[in-house]
Amino acid sequence: MPIYAPTLPPAPDLHLGQPPALVIMRFDLTRLWRQKIGRFFGFAFLMMLLWKVARIYVDHLLQTNQAFKPMQEFAKTILTQGADFQADLLNPASYLLWFLVALIGGGLVARDTLYRVRPLMYAHPVAPKDYLLAKLGFASALPFAILLPFALLPWAMSLLLAGLHGPVWATAPLRLLPAMAVSSVLMGSVAVGASSMAATPRAGIGWVLGLVLGLGTLASMIHTLTGFRAVDGLNPVMLAEAWPQLLVGVDHPLVAWVPAILGTVLHIGLWTFVAARRTRPSEVVI
Amino acid sequence: MISLDRASLRYGPILGLSPTTFELPDGGGITGLLGPNGAGKSSLLQLLSGLLPPSGGEVRVFGEAPFRNATVLARLGLVPEGDRLPMGLRADRWLRMMGELSGLLGEALKSAVARALATVGMADRAHLTFARMSKGMRQRIRLAQALLHEPELLILDEPFNGLDPEARLTLIALLRDFAAKGTRILVSSHILGEIAQLTDRILLLFRGRLLAEGTVTEIRQLLDRHPVELRLTGAAQVLARWAVEQPELAALRMEEGAVVISVRSPRDILPRLQKAAAEGGIPLSALDPLDLNLDAVFQYLTKDHA
Repeated sequence: MPIYAPTLPPAPDLHLGQPPALVIMRFDLTRLWRQKIGRFFGFAFLMMLLWKVARIYVDHLLQTNQAFKPMQEFAKTILTQGADFQADLLNPASYLLWFLVALIGGGLVARDTLYRVRPLMYAHPVAPKDYLLAKLGFASALPFAILLPFALLPWAMSLLLAGLHGPVWATAPLRLLPAMAVSSVLMGSVAVGASSMAATPRAGIGWVLGLVLGLGTLASMIHTLTGFRAVDGLNPVMLAEAWPQLLVGVDHPLVAWVPAILGTVLHIGLWTFVAARRTRPSEVVI
Repeated sequence: MISLDRASLRYGPILGLSPTTFELPDGGGITGLLGPNGAGKSSLLQLLSGLLPPSGGEVRVFGEAPFRNATVLARLGLVPEGDRLPMGLRADRWLRMMGELSGLLGEALKSAVARALATVGMADRAHLTFARMSKGMRQRIRLAQALLHEPELLILDEPFNGLDPEARLTLIALLRDFAAKGTRILVSSHILGEIAQLTDRILLLFRGRLLAEGTVTEIRQLLDRHPVELRLTGAAQVLARWAVEQPELAALRMEEGAVVISVRSPRDILPRLQKAAAEGGIPLSALDPLDLNLDAVFQYLTKDHA
């Protein structure tokens, strides 16, 4: 009598889940949440945000309260006005934000390299592009989420206090949100690209900071030596600061349109390419 | 279930796996993938688990090429080599993410995690972080991870590395249980004893080549160059006199109270030996095959192909 293999139990329904990129992003977010890394940064960003909002209120008082009338002219000389003011809503967070992105983004891919998580993921129905999308998405969404209140809260405050004639333009979010998106993707791609070259999270942080500061120094040196301003388009920090300035129409942006576009495309393309190469299945199994 | 047709794998100029052909049938059972370090075991498992495409030839799992094939990957579970896990992470959270990556959600995910943890005996310790677990516990969690979606094919790369004897026995019992329930299991190891305890069916790899496939007895019979050694215990002189009259005898050596004979076809000589002993023609008290085990088969094969 033939012996038949036992029948397997009915397999679970495997088509209920969310897209793999979303699962990985959510996992990174909960891991970050539990690390409580945000206490210092949360406090620092909150103070900056309070200053921004307070500045709107001070401006409102200067405009409406007769007692502050004599100070109006003086205030105009020390406080940024017009387009500079709109762009400045995002800029003070720049270096701190880069540091936060390095601290968190530096470990995003490197941690998975250290613990050999990717072979396991790729043995699930997870494609390398899902993984890359998750990491880039998370590293870009983080600065975007932090900058969001900087763009929206002063704007809402300004509308509330002074209507359409407030210090923040009624159309400012339409210019600031795209600028934030570009800057955030730039930050995310640099962080993920650098992290993919590291073998440990600490090394990843070092890579991000090294790249950002190193490229900034290099661009600054070439600029000083040659007087060629467009080379500032290589500096990721300047690029991230320049996009709000360009989109709100500042008279003298840190980087002009053409070098800003070229530099941003170069950085995003290069670091995404590096990350894609370094997270290929053939890289992760060796 | 698994078929390789001249499948090979190259890492740049290095040949990880020479063109290899074999088939594993459907249904449950354990197959041991045996070979020394660098033999190509991990390369073969990477091909089968869809991590890498073959450099040449064809790999088919469940009738399809596994590389980047979600349909195939959803039906197999992989326990990769090594003990590196995110140490600060809780095991249950890790398992939930892996379950979600397999396409589970909500109640289905919750029950799958609970079932997998219960299967590996970790239900009450899954809230611990990996840093607070022993190596054996972590290995069980890695196994649970591969079982979440109830795979039909389970691939384990060196699962016994670093485990203490008790943890090894537990893992062996678990794997046997899965196989009995109908899961096809492929286990790689470079330690003969582990595979010998687990299964009789092996694939033997050496220097990137598949040297042999089948049960130990089947493979041993094919090794014509190495006659089978049998130790006959009893009155050595009488036994030796009987042995030299046998046409299958290739060699003979005397030991204290025993004689060791090398014979080319044990299937032919054994009935005669049995008959002679039963009739009282030879004073035989014990018969031990000396090289019919996995260890000997491995030694002969690797020596022949070195």
